[in-house]
Amino acid sequence: MLEINNQYTLFKRQIDTEVLKSFFNGTLEEDVDKLPIKLVPKSKNTSRCCIYKERAMVRYRIMEFLGINIEKDDDEYKPLSEYARAVLNEDPEELPVLTTISAGCYGCPPEQYRISDACRGCFARPCTVNCPKDAIVFIDGKAHIIEEKCIKCGKCYGVCPYHAVLHLPVPCEAACPVGAVHKNEEGVVGIDHDKCISCGKCTMSCPFGAIAERSGIMPVVKMLKRKEKTIAMIAPSIEGQFPGTLSQIKSALLKVGFSKVMEVARGAEVTSVTEAKEVEERIENNEGYMTTSCCPAYMGLINKHLTFLKPIHSTARTPMGYTAEIAQKEFPEYKRIFIGPCLAKRVEGAYTPEVDGVINYSELAALFLALDIDVVTQEKADLGDTSVYKDCRNFAITGGVASCVLCRAENKDKLRTLKIDGLDKKNVMLMRTWAKKPPEVDLVEVMCCEGGCIAGPGTITKPSLAMRMRGRE
Amino acid sequence: MADKVDVKICVGTACFVQGGADLLMFNDFLDDELLSKCNIDAANCFEECKKCSVTGEKSPFVTINGKVYGNMTVDKLSKIIREAVNA
Repeated sequence: MLEINNQYTLFKRQIDTEVLKSFFNGTLEEDVDKLPIKLVPKSKNTSRCCIYKERAMVRYRIMEFLGINIEKDDDEYKPLSEYARAVLNEDPEELPVLTTISAGCYGCPPEQYRISDACRGCFARPCTVNCPKDAIVFIDGKAHIIEEKCIKCGKCYGVCPYHAVLHLPVPCEAACPVGAVHKNEEGVVGIDHDKCISCGKCTMSCPFGAIAERSGIMPVVKMLKRKEKTIAMIAPSIEGQFPGTLSQIKSALLKVGFSKVMEVARGAEVTSVTEAKEVEERIENNEGYMTTSCCPAYMGLINKHLTFLKPIHSTARTPMGYTAEIAQKEFPEYKRIFIGPCLAKRVEGAYTPEVDGVINYSELAALFLALDIDVVTQEKADLGDTSVYKDCRNFAITGGVASCVLCRAENKDKLRTLKIDGLDKKNVMLMRTWAKKPPEVDLVEVMCCEGGCIAGPGTITKPSLAMRMRGRE
Repeated sequence: MADKVDVKICVGTACFVQGGADLLMFNDFLDDELLSKCNIDAANCFEECKKCSVTGEKSPFVTINGKVYGNMTVDKLSKIIREAVNA
């Protein structure tokens, strides 16, 4: 996957900020068609073929930010102002969250292993010896891979002492843990939405930004502008995403225009208590292992691919679900907006009646920039009494969910746990084997993103830095 | 011994979210010898981002001995700190 801060993500944030500035100015419709030109002036050096292509891509970035389903509704005759008007009048449908931008796709050639001229035709020839398909031949003393025979196992790549074997991946296909991303007949990217679990790994992998999240921010900023009563429900991973402390982030959110801020860690506490009870009941009744249920991409994986896990995952609601429930009980007249690092939470949000909107940290950053709100100079807001759920802020980090559940179990020393840290192809394969050979543990914690939610597709800070910044008073 | 080089990294929201966060990992990308000759600190917004239409320089910003540098990256920062230390 790509580094979290790269030319694409940083430019995207600049585009998002400009759109929001115009929106809050009330001039979105008149500005929006000029934005691609403003953001890519003639003088700009672009890494695409020309400034015109770059401007066309900015147009698509604006469409994805407005929430347009580009796959379905891209009409090149239609000016952005018309799209903007439609979105201002009516919120676009929420699903599917991902959309492809075919014009942006480079059309990478199929995955390939190739031998470069660094090959010295050595005597040991580990490549030939280790190739399971006899796909490597020597021509003029140098190794060559016979394309038709190669099964792309990568064994030769791993064993060459001269690093002469090149691996040319298709980043989006390589990143997708469930085989939902494939190139279509025209050679450009396509998503099989019936298979997709909305983990967002493809969006973090494509260096051309050809797979994008249709943002859910427009419905939210419309609420803010109408001065509706809103509660910002902030996911535990928010700490460390912005400069300053959690209480300063809360202040900044109130300044943005949210009426209240509620920590999702509060709902995570209810999840932990429920799961602790459940897992101990299962042990008592000899029902075997239980998995967590808080990761929505993992729930997507169960529903679409690993259906045998349906009776095995916890029946507890997610932290977002419980937090929204609490918020609805305490403040029924407020709209409830989840702010998190997660793309799959958009899907969960669409199916959760108590949730009225979902945005991510990258979009929140654009919101801070557009409204010129500096987090680190904010006064510290009162977070209230957090003693009961403070430890549940660790739900954002691999191992944190399991430890919160353990802390709330009666016989915590007896519980055996296993962590699935990241849903990559390998871990999905491992979990498939559980249908026949269940893991010998009591609780399995599943995190789709390696490292936990702090590595989610909607984050803006490297996990290593975020970890250092968390827990500051 | 000569005075230490004074480095300030802006942690205003604009700088932080536009790549400035990476600069805060200076302990990881600067070697010990350079680190021993600098005082590196995070600093609140020095309002340079508001002037970008005039100066053409964009976030993230740092200052070295009071002089402002924009469009900062990890590589660029290492380079200019090294230059300042050796000056």
